[in-house]
Amino acid sequence: MRRFCFFLVLVVFISFGCKQRAVTQPESQPPAQKEAAKGPETVTEKKGGPGESITSKELEGKGMEGKEGMFADVHFDFDKYDIKDADKPILKNIASWMTKNGPAKLMVEGHCDERGTNEYNLALGDRRAKAVKDYLVSLGVPSSKIDTISYGEEKPLCKEQTEECWAKNRRGHFVVLGKAGK
Amino acid sequence: MNRTDKWQGASGAWQRTQRKGPVLLLAAILIAISPFIAQAKIYIDITAPQARMMPIAIYDFQGQGGREMAEVIREDLIFTGLFMYIDKASYIEAADQPCNPANWTPLGIEAVVKGAVAGDKKITASVSLYDPFENREILSKQYQSDKDLLRQLGHSIANDIYTALTGAAGIFRTRIVFVGEQGGERDLYLMDWDGHRSRKLGLKSGVILTPHWSADGSKLLYAAERGRQWNIYLLDFLQMSEKRVFTSRGVNMAGDFFPNGKAFAFSSSKDGTPDIYTFSLENNTAKKITATHGIEVSPAVSPDGSRIAFVSDRGGTPQVYLMRSDGTEVRRLTFEGTYNTSPGWSPSGDRVVFASRRGGGKNQICIVKPDGSDLMQLTDQGNNEDPSFSPDGRYIAFMSDRDRQKGIYIMRANGESQKRITPRDLKAFGPRWSPQ
Repeated sequence: MRRFCFFLVLVVFISFGCKQRAVTQPESQPPAQKEAAKGPETVTEKKGGPGESITSKELEGKGMEGKEGMFADVHFDFDKYDIKDADKPILKNIASWMTKNGPAKLMVEGHCDERGTNEYNLALGDRRAKAVKDYLVSLGVPSSKIDTISYGEEKPLCKEQTEECWAKNRRGHFVVLGKAGK
Repeated sequence: MNRTDKWQGASGAWQRTQRKGPVLLLAAILIAISPFIAQAKIYIDITAPQARMMPIAIYDFQGQGGREMAEVIREDLIFTGLFMYIDKASYIEAADQPCNPANWTPLGIEAVVKGAVAGDKKITASVSLYDPFENREILSKQYQSDKDLLRQLGHSIANDIYTALTGAAGIFRTRIVFVGEQGGERDLYLMDWDGHRSRKLGLKSGVILTPHWSADGSKLLYAAERGRQWNIYLLDFLQMSEKRVFTSRGVNMAGDFFPNGKAFAFSSSKDGTPDIYTFSLENNTAKKITATHGIEVSPAVSPDGSRIAFVSDRGGTPQVYLMRSDGTEVRRLTFEGTYNTSPGWSPSGDRVVFASRRGGGKNQICIVKPDGSDLMQLTDQGNNEDPSFSPDGRYIAFMSDRDRQKGIYIMRANGESQKRITPRDLKAFGPRWSPQ
């Protein structure tokens, strides 16, 4: 009985199959995607092609005049952002200069070596610049007079792939903004 | 390569299974129970883990520019790894003769492409794709375009051939955006996926970071430093305009669009340490969704918008974490190594791709399932960073310095066929593959 049922099911399947097959034979299949009748497809350029340029709605920002090279860079260990003892005299010197030159503002740039990936390095440079700022503030420089920016690995000082070079690039760099004292 | 089917050379034949007989009965039964399946035949099942390569003949198209057009189509199809291009030397029949199965079946060639190009300023092209084993034309279509769009026309034809044989959409008209630097000047560049027709977008100079596409391909989101400030910009291709959408003190980095294009995730150190935020473009508000004392950057929104992959050093070293898009249910994804960054999602959400510092201190492209299993390293030469999946999930674009100068490379998502697609004199990084 069980075998008979199975046979019945099979027969049903086959008969269905045969019926369907009659209309789906390869010969009677219309060629797939025959689109000639629709006329040719027009291929066009996507937006952003050559000859198109971007207009910016941003007003031309004028950065403040910056004076570099007044202070030596401070340096960091690989993947770290703590201030080294060796660099503390440099920061003390900067702090005392800042208190004597009232109007001057200081920009602290945080930089990294090229190892590591761009975005994480930008975050690391941010931590470095802020560590320097925090140290200067702890020495009595008003927080409002110090700004920070990170350039991550984007502006290397030294471009060789050596440990000596990488060490130079892991730096805090100082730019005096506005009226620099004489 | 371990394949069950093997090409036996010009004298041999492609070992193929007989389609007739019991298979036909099975097909008939299938059709009977499910009339919606098998509308069009799938020649190559691209979902199979290791699809066999289909031998294909592609004639130079007739007419001026025909050779170049055929070359575009060949390069597109060969890079997929799904086709075995059979050289012209084995073609017996003339290009303008109708296909005769007897010329192809003994060689085991399963698809034959012929075509022609005509016209001067405006060109028209026609293509015919033929199956010698079933003796039928699978695709017959005409195209027209301006003459300077000959490559795009070739890519469009390759897309149609690919779709006819696999049932899936081709990516041959997609593009890759990246950051390029020449003579110290940075700009965003846009190129075809094969590296051709690369051009600058002409943005203001400044340091620009990796751009990110909106799901509809009409916008880019990126961070740039201008006037000693990190800002987030939105570039609209429909209006060809750029506007600043977010700025604050500290580092602001895009980020990734949510699928509906009305919001994006980004990282900002405006409140101290870099954290992840979401930003609504509808009401211009930012919402902080992580809060640690460490670094949290590089949010990548999952294709369905429900989750965000990001990088955090909360465990002591930078690692990839996953969380829900509202910042809850944070869980660590990567555990191998001490430096895992730059996460990105496959289009189906079944893999996370990232850069991992491996042996020798170099970064390598790796993929892993969102549950942390099946970790696979895909590259091993030089530093490899900034991975980005193609919209069909079959390929990955990335930056590599293996040839000294940083450049954009593409590979199949299993690591095969790695090749540089940007010129050696251009410093290039931060690639992002466009949507369809």
